[in-house]
Amino acid sequence: METIGHNIIELLSHDPKSPMLFSSGLFWALFLVFLPVYALLKRRLWQMLLFVTAFSLYFYYKSSGIFFLLLTATSLLDWTLSKLLVELEAKWQRKACVWISVICSLGILGYFKYANFFLWNWNSMVEGNFQPLDIILPVGISFYTFQSISYIVDVYKGRVAPTETWLEYVFFLSFFPALVAGPIVRADYFIPQIRENRRASIDETFAGLWLIIIGVIKKALIADYISQYNDLIFLSPTGYSGFESLMGVMGYTMQIYCDFSGYSDMAIGLALIMGFRLTPNFNFPYKSLNVTEFWRRWHISLSTWLRDYIYIPLGGNRKGTARTYLNNFLTMLIGGLWHGAAWKFVFWGALHGAGLAVHKACRPWLDRLPRNRFITFLSWTVTMVFVSLLWVFFRAESWTDSWLIIRNIFTNFQPECIIPFFETRWLWVTMMAVIIIAHALPEGTWDRAGEWYVRAPWVVKLILFIIVVQLVIQFMSEEVSPFIYFQF
Amino acid sequence: MKRKNEYIGLWCLLLVAFAVVAGASAFEPVMVGDFEIKTSGITSRLTREPLVESKDTLPVTPAVVEKHEIDSAAQRILIIGDSMLEGLNPRLAAYAEANGHTLNSVIWYSSTTAYWGCCDTLTVYMRKFKPTFVFISLGANELFVSDIAAKREDMLKYFLAQLGDTPYLWIGPPNWKPDTGINDMIARNVPAGCYFKSDGMHFDRAKDGAHPTHASAALWMDSIARWMPLHGAHPILLDNPGELKARPASVTVLQPLKSPLPPRHRKK
Repeated sequence: METIGHNIIELLSHDPKSPMLFSSGLFWALFLVFLPVYALLKRRLWQMLLFVTAFSLYFYYKSSGIFFLLLTATSLLDWTLSKLLVELEAKWQRKACVWISVICSLGILGYFKYANFFLWNWNSMVEGNFQPLDIILPVGISFYTFQSISYIVDVYKGRVAPTETWLEYVFFLSFFPALVAGPIVRADYFIPQIRENRRASIDETFAGLWLIIIGVIKKALIADYISQYNDLIFLSPTGYSGFESLMGVMGYTMQIYCDFSGYSDMAIGLALIMGFRLTPNFNFPYKSLNVTEFWRRWHISLSTWLRDYIYIPLGGNRKGTARTYLNNFLTMLIGGLWHGAAWKFVFWGALHGAGLAVHKACRPWLDRLPRNRFITFLSWTVTMVFVSLLWVFFRAESWTDSWLIIRNIFTNFQPECIIPFFETRWLWVTMMAVIIIAHALPEGTWDRAGEWYVRAPWVVKLILFIIVVQLVIQFMSEEVSPFIYFQF
Repeated sequence: MKRKNEYIGLWCLLLVAFAVVAGASAFEPVMVGDFEIKTSGITSRLTREPLVESKDTLPVTPAVVEKHEIDSAAQRILIIGDSMLEGLNPRLAAYAEANGHTLNSVIWYSSTTAYWGCCDTLTVYMRKFKPTFVFISLGANELFVSDIAAKREDMLKYFLAQLGDTPYLWIGPPNWKPDTGINDMIARNVPAGCYFKSDGMHFDRAKDGAHPTHASAALWMDSIARWMPLHGAHPILLDNPGELKARPASVTVLQPLKSPLPPRHRKK
């Protein structure tokens, strides 16, 4: 018993090497304890808020250790400033509150995420002897920083009233389903739900479970498995034929979708079980026929955040055509930098920005094209090639690696590798086929599948859940890949 | 009428599923014919003995290695490892030729401690070449394996056991990025003076950014040859050869595994 007790304490303690994922056994076990307590407290608003906030902060502690105090301090500062803001009359004073809050939030993010990046660039310019600072990036800081900025700006603009109590605000900022990897929760959408304290129906609890199942399949089964091969390609860009590199690029394109959208599905499902609605984060992005549509379907909570808090304040499309293109470009540049402190992310964002601008510029001409299957297919192909090629720059370790992989695809294809590839990597190919077909199905199919699951007998639900869990265990990769969006 | 609690059905489902998955892990490994049904490992995770750090369990590695006499006898050298051998082989062959040794080389592309530690490949070549000294160059393909000690330390030990009493030197991987523990794991498991740590050395790299260029690999081998008489547990005669490179007596090439590791690799 002593050994078991020691091991449980060890499991529950902060371990930076094993952050708590929704798809982990530990989270499942904790959720089994969390759920009945939550059900008991749901009717008592303040006790429920206190309990969930404590659980969320523990959840954050498990992944980021002492940094849960940083989150708490940030929330206290934001909330105090928001309360002060509504009391003040003078516009400059109100603006000052917003700026203090935004500068503090961005300052913290800048220090933890970008300090080494800027120092490295500075030292490259002055040819200094750069020694990186020993900075640990708190998990999910980019997500909650954006939430905190949206809150203070929305309070300033009068779109949302500040929360009555700090507890409500810290509940919003630390809400564990969306804490470490989004979706980015908007204050005007979420905060009214806190006071409403709506009870989830039985159907909603199982609809939430269905989303979790779908998320687990995408993240823990497919993304983690196919990543093993993709990693080999990106680790050794010249070690494989062009065909194998192409498969690696396609694999990563699906991996990042499954990984991120799967985790979002789990987050949305968990929130739904608790009676909260989060906005959808992905809407079959690889069905997009142009890059504008892609950004309406991919990481929706980020793209709408960028639109509302960067693109529109920059002037949006209100200041002429050239300025619209520039605003688009700048917004995506910032979006790229948000993904990581490296030039490759800036480049990735800049090219997406350029893609959006080019699409906007060509729109009058594109709209005149006939809407037939050939044009649809052509549009889809061009969009997919553009998006997939940019994922290479996003994933590869360096520019050189990115170009090597792309050049390898076009100059060293080696078609003789195709059959051996399918023979030796049949399981990888099968997984890819499954996700491609699943993604291509009409969107209503998945809604109907969810409804079927909710209506299915309890035993059927149980069996399906166990099958999925067993599949995850069976295919669990030897080297578990960390969640891609964790460090963003 | 009292409203039924919305969460009972869901909670029961999660609880039963958890009980099934956790319970199954008490019976691992679960075999159906030749097929292994993997389990969650919950039971073993909860019941495993905690690692106790005490003076008794710390690796007994002396801070200063005793200087050994150089064995000037002609050696039958075997060098085994991954693709890094492509760079090391020509220069080591030149050393061997100049100092009267015989060099046989076994390159297993993309190999790792897991490859060599899950099978008897090393034993096969030990019997074939009957080496009196072995160089090992492994680890470059597992610089970034997470939790490597838990996954591969047993395999590393099995691999080393196949060497028997034959003296050896493990040439550590030429890191191009900080590793996740392979260097520490090797250092922990080999006796003092049997591990040449390459991490921290400067290398000019080939296009792939990982392998040292041939010129850089030759300098790497020179560093090893200079290090051995001073720090090696069993230094052999490696006077600087006149020739820059030569050919080993034999080079055996093993192709990368195309499927997951053989059953022996799987954890019991």
